[in-house]
Amino acid sequence: MAVSILQAMFSGLALGSIYALVALGFNITHNTTKTFNFGQGEFLVAGAFIAVSVLLLLAGHDFKGSLQQAEVTLARYGLSLIATVVIMGLLGVVVYYAAIRPFIGQGGLAWVMSTIGFGIIIQNIALAIWGPSPMVMPSPLGSEVLRIGGAGVLPQEILVLCVSIALMLCLDVVMRKTRLGKAVRAVAQSSSAATLMGINVTAIVVLAFVVSASLAGIAGLLIAPITTASVFMGLTLALKAFSSAIVGGLSNPRGCMLGGFLLGLIEAMVGLWHAELREISIFLLIIFVLVLKPEGLLGQRVVEKV
Amino acid sequence: MQQYKHLLGVVAFAALVGLIPVITDNGFYLKVLFLIGVNYLAAAGLNVLVGYAGQKSLGHAGLFAVGAYTAALFTAKLGWNPWLAFAAAGAMAGLFGVVIALPALRVRGPALAMVTIGFGVVVEKVVSEWQDVFAGQQGIYGVLPLTFAGEPLDARQWVWLVLALGVAAHLMLRFLLRGKYGRAFMAVNTAEVAAESVGVSVYKYKVLAFVISAVTCGFAGALITQQNQYINSDFITFNLSVFFLLIVLFGGRSVYGPLLGAVVLTLLDAFLARWPGLQHFTYGALLLFALYAMPNGLSGAFAALFRRIRWYERRAAGPERAPIGAWQSQASGKALAGGEVLLRTQGLYKAYGGVVPTNNLDIEIQSGHVHSLIGPNGAGKTTLLNILSGIVPPSKGSIEFRGKSIVGQPVYRICNLGLGRTFQNLKLFADMSVIDNVKVGLHQHIRTGFWAYLLGLPAAARDEARATEQALQILQFLGLQEHARALAGSLPYGLQRRVELARALATRPTLLLLDEPAAGLNPQETAQLVEVIRSIRDLGITILLIEHHMDLVMAISDHVIVLDYGEKIAEGAPLAVQGNPRVIAAYLGTDDEEEDAAPAALGESHV
Repeated sequence: MAVSILQAMFSGLALGSIYALVALGFNITHNTTKTFNFGQGEFLVAGAFIAVSVLLLLAGHDFKGSLQQAEVTLARYGLSLIATVVIMGLLGVVVYYAAIRPFIGQGGLAWVMSTIGFGIIIQNIALAIWGPSPMVMPSPLGSEVLRIGGAGVLPQEILVLCVSIALMLCLDVVMRKTRLGKAVRAVAQSSSAATLMGINVTAIVVLAFVVSASLAGIAGLLIAPITTASVFMGLTLALKAFSSAIVGGLSNPRGCMLGGFLLGLIEAMVGLWHAELREISIFLLIIFVLVLKPEGLLGQRVVEKV
Repeated sequence: MQQYKHLLGVVAFAALVGLIPVITDNGFYLKVLFLIGVNYLAAAGLNVLVGYAGQKSLGHAGLFAVGAYTAALFTAKLGWNPWLAFAAAGAMAGLFGVVIALPALRVRGPALAMVTIGFGVVVEKVVSEWQDVFAGQQGIYGVLPLTFAGEPLDARQWVWLVLALGVAAHLMLRFLLRGKYGRAFMAVNTAEVAAESVGVSVYKYKVLAFVISAVTCGFAGALITQQNQYINSDFITFNLSVFFLLIVLFGGRSVYGPLLGAVVLTLLDAFLARWPGLQHFTYGALLLFALYAMPNGLSGAFAALFRRIRWYERRAAGPERAPIGAWQSQASGKALAGGEVLLRTQGLYKAYGGVVPTNNLDIEIQSGHVHSLIGPNGAGKTTLLNILSGIVPPSKGSIEFRGKSIVGQPVYRICNLGLGRTFQNLKLFADMSVIDNVKVGLHQHIRTGFWAYLLGLPAAARDEARATEQALQILQFLGLQEHARALAGSLPYGLQRRVELARALATRPTLLLLDEPAAGLNPQETAQLVEVIRSIRDLGITILLIEHHMDLVMAISDHVIVLDYGEKIAEGAPLAVQGNPRVIAAYLGTDDEEEDAAPAALGESHV
C-alpha cells in the first residue's frame, strides 16, 4: 500500500509539474493583459507534435512515422526542445495579434471566443497534418523503470519534474531580480503607468504571450513520452492547468505552481482509490476553493472600486 | 396592436414551415429541419444566459447530456412513459442548471467560462467512463420515442413537434424578456452593483438564467435521443458546447438571433458533414472571424437599423406625457413624519489593511431633512455610503434603518427596505433606453411573478403598462421625458446623472444617498440640481449627499456632517460647520501651507 502511494506521488508530481507549467502560462498573460489563451491545450498538443516531428527529422525519417528508442538521445531531445520553443513562441505572437489584440478592452469576453476559435483551428491543422491516432515518443532516458523506495518510477517522470522545476525557478528569479522582470511586474500592476515610465508595454505583452505559448509547448514535449502525443489531449490538460491556477491563485505565479503540484497529487491519490472519480474530485475541489477562497490559496483579493 | 401583429407573424411563419413536411417526404430535408428546431430550442434558452444575463457558458453539452441520458435511462431502463421521461429530462437539466450556476455566483468572466468548460468535461468523462450506468461509447439502445395516439412519431411529426416547441419557446421567452425579467437580466449583465442597488437580486437572476438555458438544452438532448432512440457518449463533446454558443453569438442577442443562428449553422453543419475535418475547422474560423465582422451577430445589424427607424417614429410623435401628480402623491404617501431618526449608526468601523476609511462613526439621519457629508479627499465619504447601502460590509458597528438592523443584509434587500442611491462614477445600464433604466428601478414594485410573465398573462401586461406610466411620470418630474426612448449611454453626461437619479427615485426610497450628484455639472446644471433636490425633499424623501460644491451644500443642507480620516470631526447647521476651526484645519491643514482653496471655494475637486 505504502509503495503504491509513493508511486502515485511520483506520477502525481510529474503530472502536476506539467499543470504548473501551463498554469504559469495562464498567469503571465493574465497578469499583463487580463486575458489568456483558452486554446492553450491545443498549443500543448502542437508543441508535442512539433517535437516528435523534429526528432523524426533529426533521425533522418519523414516527419510522420515511428521513432525507435535508440533514435532519441538527450542531445536530440534538447534540440527538439529549442525548435519547439522557437516555433511555439512565433505561434504565441500570432495568437496575440490575431485573437487577443483586436478584442482587448471590449466587453463580452470576445477574446475568450476568439482564442477558443484559434485553438480549434490549430487542433484541426494538427489533425490534418498528423492524423487522429496518437504518436509514440520514446523518452531520451529510456523506459526502464527505476525503483525508489520500492516504488516504480519512469525516468521521464523524473526528467519532467527536474526540467519544470528548473524552468519555474528561472522564471521566478527573472521576475523578481531582473530589470525585465520588474518591467513585466510593472505592466501587470498598471500598464498605463508603466508606459509613462518608458516601458514598451506592447513588447512586454507580446513577450508574455511568447513565454506562455512556449511553456505550453515545453509541457507538450515533456509529457509526450509519458502519455503519447494525441491531438485530443489538449482540452483536459489545459482545463486542469487552469484549475490549478484557480486553486493556487491566478494572479500569483507561485500560487500557480503550488496549485499545479497540489492538483497532480490529488488526482493521483484519488486515481489510486477510484479512477473514475478523478475529474469529479477536481471539479468539486474548484467549487470548494471558489466558495471558501475565490482568489485562490495564494492569490490576492481584488477589491472592486464602486 | 403590436402584440397581435407579432402573433400573426409567428402564426404565418409556423404555417409556412409546417407546410414543408407536407410538400416533401425527403428524409434528409426533414432531418435537417428537425435539427434546426432542436438547435433553435437549445440556443433560445442559452441566449437568455449569454445574450441577456451576460454569462458565458461553454459547458452546455453537459446539460444536453443530462436531458439526453435522463430520457434514455428513464424510458429504456425504468420503462417510463416517453412523454413523462421527456418532461423529466427538462426538469433534471434545470436542476443541474442550478449546480452549474453555483460557481457562477463566485467567479466572473474568463474564470466562469473555464469553470463551465470544466462542468462539460466532467459530464463527458462520467458518461464515457461510468460504463455500468451510461454504457459509454457503446451507448444505450431501446430508448422509447415520443408517441402520438399510441404510435411513435414519424419523421414529419417530429418536425411538427419541434416546430410547436420552438414557437412555444419563442413566445414565452419573448414575453419574459420584453418585461421585467429581460430588464433585470440586462441590468445584471451591464452593472451588477447598480442592479443590486436598485433592488434586483443578482444571485437570483443569474441562477434563473442558468436554469432557463439548462431546461431548453435538456429538452434538446431528450429530443435528439428519443428521435434516434439511441444515445452514446460520442454525442457529448466540448465541440457541442462550442456549437451551441456559436449559434447564439453568430445569431446575436435579439430574440430572433438564435433562430438566425440555428438556421445558418445547422445548414452549414449539414453541408459540411461530408468533410468532418473541415467542419470543426470552420467552427473555429467562424468563432475567430465572425467576431471581427459582426461583434453583435447577424441580428445585431438588423436591430441597429430597426431601432433607428423606430426612434424617428417616436420622435415624430412627440414625447410621451403622463400625469405627474399620481406618482408624486404616491411617493409622498410613503413619507414619514419629519424629525424622526431614520437611520442611526453606532461605532461603525471599516479598515483596509492600515487604512481606516471609517473610524467609529456614530451618525444620525433625521427624516425629512437634507444631510450633507463633506470632507477632504480620502476622508471616507464614499466608503460610508457603500457601507450604508450594503456594498461594503463594515468590520464592526451597527446600522439601524427604520428601526431594523441592516448590517450583513444583501444590497438589493436594503434597497427594498427603502434606501436608494446613486454612484459617483455613473453606473447606468448604458445600452438600455432611459425609460428601461427607470423601469429597472421599479423592479421590486412590479409584483407579477415569473409564470405570469412567461405565459404572457394579462396581469403581466397590466403591470408593464403601469410601470411604463410610472416611469414616464418620474422622467417628467426630472424633465427627462424627451429622452425616454434614447439609449442611456448616448445622453450627455449631465443628463446621464439625472437618469441615475430617476432610477434611484423609482425604487421609492425613504432615504436617498447621492454620491457627488453635481460632479461634472456646469454651473447652470448645478443650479437646476439644487431645485431638483429641493423638490425631492418636498416629496418627503430624506437625502444624504456627498458634495464638494460648497455653495450647493450650504444652499440646501439642513445638517452637515464633516469627515476626516474616517472620523467625524464636526456636524451641525451649515453655517456653524463652516466656521468650525477643525473643519478649516482639515481642509487647509494647520500649518501655513500654500493652499489657495477655502472650504467655501472647493468647487471642482474630485475624489
